[in-house]
Amino acid sequence: MPTGQTLILENMISQMNGILDSYKVGNSHYDEVFAAPKQPREHYKMMVERFNQLSLIDFERINNEVKTAFLNQGITFAVYAEDKKPDERIFPFDLFPRIIPNAEWMQVEKGVIQRNKAINLFLHDIYHDKKILKDKVVPADLIFSSKNYLKEMVGFTPQGGIYTHISGTDLIKHTDGEYYILEDNLRCPSGVSYVLSNRVALKKSLFELFDALKTKTIYQYPEQLLEMLKSVKPKNTDNPTIVVVTPGMYNSAYFEHSFLAQKMGVQLVEGRDLFVEKDFVYMKTIYGPIKVDIIYRRVDDEFIDPLCFRKDSMLGVPGLMNAYRAGNVTLANAPGTGVADDKAVYNYVPDIIKYYLNEVPILNNVKTYHCENESEGKYVMENIGKLVVKPVDESGGYGITIGNKLTIAEIEEVKVRIKSNPRKYIAQPIMSLSEHATFIEESKEFEPRHIDLRTFCLMGKEEEYVLKGGLTRVALRKGNLIVNSSQGGGSKDTWVLDC
Amino acid sequence: MLSRVANNLYWMGRYIERAEHFARYSKEIYFSSLDAPIMKTYDRKFVLESMLYMTGIFDMDVQNEKDVLFKIGLDTKNPNSIISIITTARENARGARNAISTDLWEAINKYYHLVNNYSVEKYVSTGLYDLNQIILQQTSIVQGKISGTLLHDEEWAIILVGMHIERAIQVIKIINSKLHDIYKIEQAGHLVTDMSFEWTTMLRCTESFDMNRKFYRSIPNKEQVLEFIMLNPQCPRSIAHSLNGIKKYLDKLSRNESEEAKTIGFKIGKLCAQYQYLSFDEYKDDIYGILNSTQDQIMEISSELEKKYLSF
Repeated sequence: MPTGQTLILENMISQMNGILDSYKVGNSHYDEVFAAPKQPREHYKMMVERFNQLSLIDFERINNEVKTAFLNQGITFAVYAEDKKPDERIFPFDLFPRIIPNAEWMQVEKGVIQRNKAINLFLHDIYHDKKILKDKVVPADLIFSSKNYLKEMVGFTPQGGIYTHISGTDLIKHTDGEYYILEDNLRCPSGVSYVLSNRVALKKSLFELFDALKTKTIYQYPEQLLEMLKSVKPKNTDNPTIVVVTPGMYNSAYFEHSFLAQKMGVQLVEGRDLFVEKDFVYMKTIYGPIKVDIIYRRVDDEFIDPLCFRKDSMLGVPGLMNAYRAGNVTLANAPGTGVADDKAVYNYVPDIIKYYLNEVPILNNVKTYHCENESEGKYVMENIGKLVVKPVDESGGYGITIGNKLTIAEIEEVKVRIKSNPRKYIAQPIMSLSEHATFIEESKEFEPRHIDLRTFCLMGKEEEYVLKGGLTRVALRKGNLIVNSSQGGGSKDTWVLDC
Repeated sequence: MLSRVANNLYWMGRYIERAEHFARYSKEIYFSSLDAPIMKTYDRKFVLESMLYMTGIFDMDVQNEKDVLFKIGLDTKNPNSIISIITTARENARGARNAISTDLWEAINKYYHLVNNYSVEKYVSTGLYDLNQIILQQTSIVQGKISGTLLHDEEWAIILVGMHIERAIQVIKIINSKLHDIYKIEQAGHLVTDMSFEWTTMLRCTESFDMNRKFYRSIPNKEQVLEFIMLNPQCPRSIAHSLNGIKKYLDKLSRNESEEAKTIGFKIGKLCAQYQYLSFDEYKDDIYGILNSTQDQIMEISSELEKKYLSF
């Protein structure tokens, strides 16, 4: 048994060889943790000190325990391959939290609310009077050519005038230390269940960290979500029945769907559990049909109603859009919001904010070039090597090319693709995502890895709520800029400091 | 409760129960054979055949023991292997994820990962006892979570209906399978009086040995054993107990008095009553007959239950 003295000695030795001491600060990107080698930024000092008290062996043990816990909790996604057992993987979680000082966060929060309020007004406008198009602030062509602009929504006002009940705004921090908006996710943004699970995991495994610094709690999110949904209930409903609609358990976000339904205490249903009769929606229970009033749907627009959209959809509910337009059921998010998170519309969001709110945008946009615009398109064609080219209507990081990673032949391929459909592509300067100390299992060391931040904003009738912090996503592959989980990304717990 | 969720919960209950019976049967049959008194017929081939018979495989070559153990244990291509059964139980739990408690879900998920990550090489060489023991232990944990962490409402009741239906069917299968073994031993010219070992094994396969000893306080024989695991409602592994369980939990479900509900209630009530007033003497000459007719009636109740509550 170690005596008090040997313990002190061991502590001293471990402090001399802190697990973060060998960390090499990159020089071309903003490092969130360290201002210079061995010099943590002010708000990280306590955290770095705590981590340096852990031995590598302890840290690895804790890391493995957390991984096992995630596996047993089913916080996993499956990769399916023919003829093989589905490969079930946990969503990688890094134990070193990302810290955001409160003042910095307050700006982000204000900026996110401002942005989503404006987008919401924009959606109402383009489905009603189209003033912003008539005033030529946003080109009408851009809107009407979008496959996500739904004629079924024209002239219809959702309950409380809310379209984007749940939105996920992605931000990055550039070399200048400023936040920039990377993109808006206004359809079915996912990831919030990981935020909540990451916090629980960190609380259990490294509880002593919570003595070092005080972080804002995030546990209320499911309650806020429930309250928000109730605030947009259909008229003439006192005690609304709320459901979460999932495409089913083979969907990669099924964990999140069941997690949110359970935390809210509402029923998780699939499209096949629901049916529409005389413009009311019902679910099939063992004792017969029960009317459904509010649907938080995690099924994309094109699949929600085979009578209206894709006829081959097995995930939807025939007649749902009619019930919706009759005002008998609330859908969150409203159909047709995808037109506003189109990456080509992104460039106009600062103008949209000015137009509706008469305010200066709080958060920066990244300069965006539209390939269909003649002069901008020309610039893109001549500078593909310096730009990130993205399809406007894809999600999950698919179809993105990063200029400085391309061979000459690949650049030519991108050019051909853009030429064939310029409307489909936008380009942006290669933004430098900030880096954060992240534990790399192969090297058993902390190394810098690129991160971004997905914030989660709820909008109900006369209420807004932004989850404190959000999902910090990490690109685990060295030098990689794409943080999506489908492309080898992981996540971190995100702390907004209490003071 | 959604009909689809009810369907998930019902089958989750059935598969959890099925895996347990398969695991116990494999373990008891295999290890009891190691020092069996009737060595001549009780060789390894005989044992492996019995294990296959229980899982519904009648035509496999038993020359290679490892192949047989793999087939009934960890072969994911065999839908009746223990791993396939546990996988299906877990998939059903996942489909009803938000209807069950986090505790129960994690217990089932952990159970699945323990079995799914078990080394095939270890299992077929030295791990038969170990893996089956893990399955039995994890089943107990899952059962504990079912009784201790769920609201005792319709969702809970449908799980228990599933478990009791499956238990009744598996106990019938175990009796059938052991009777088949005993028949083969008799055919080989051994006297039935040598058979206390076989009857003991039958009790162990249904986890009823200790209970039986306590109840009769004598060496197990055919009459006692069959009476005990078929008719004794106090024995939680008996057919009579399982039937009473089906009735009890079905009653919790049948809130409305539609015609179909009456039919299901009537059928299970009738079957329970038959077992309540049955004596061994009445069926000792046709044990297979009563087992088969009971199984048919349970299957009928099950399919009516599916039609009434579980179709969506």
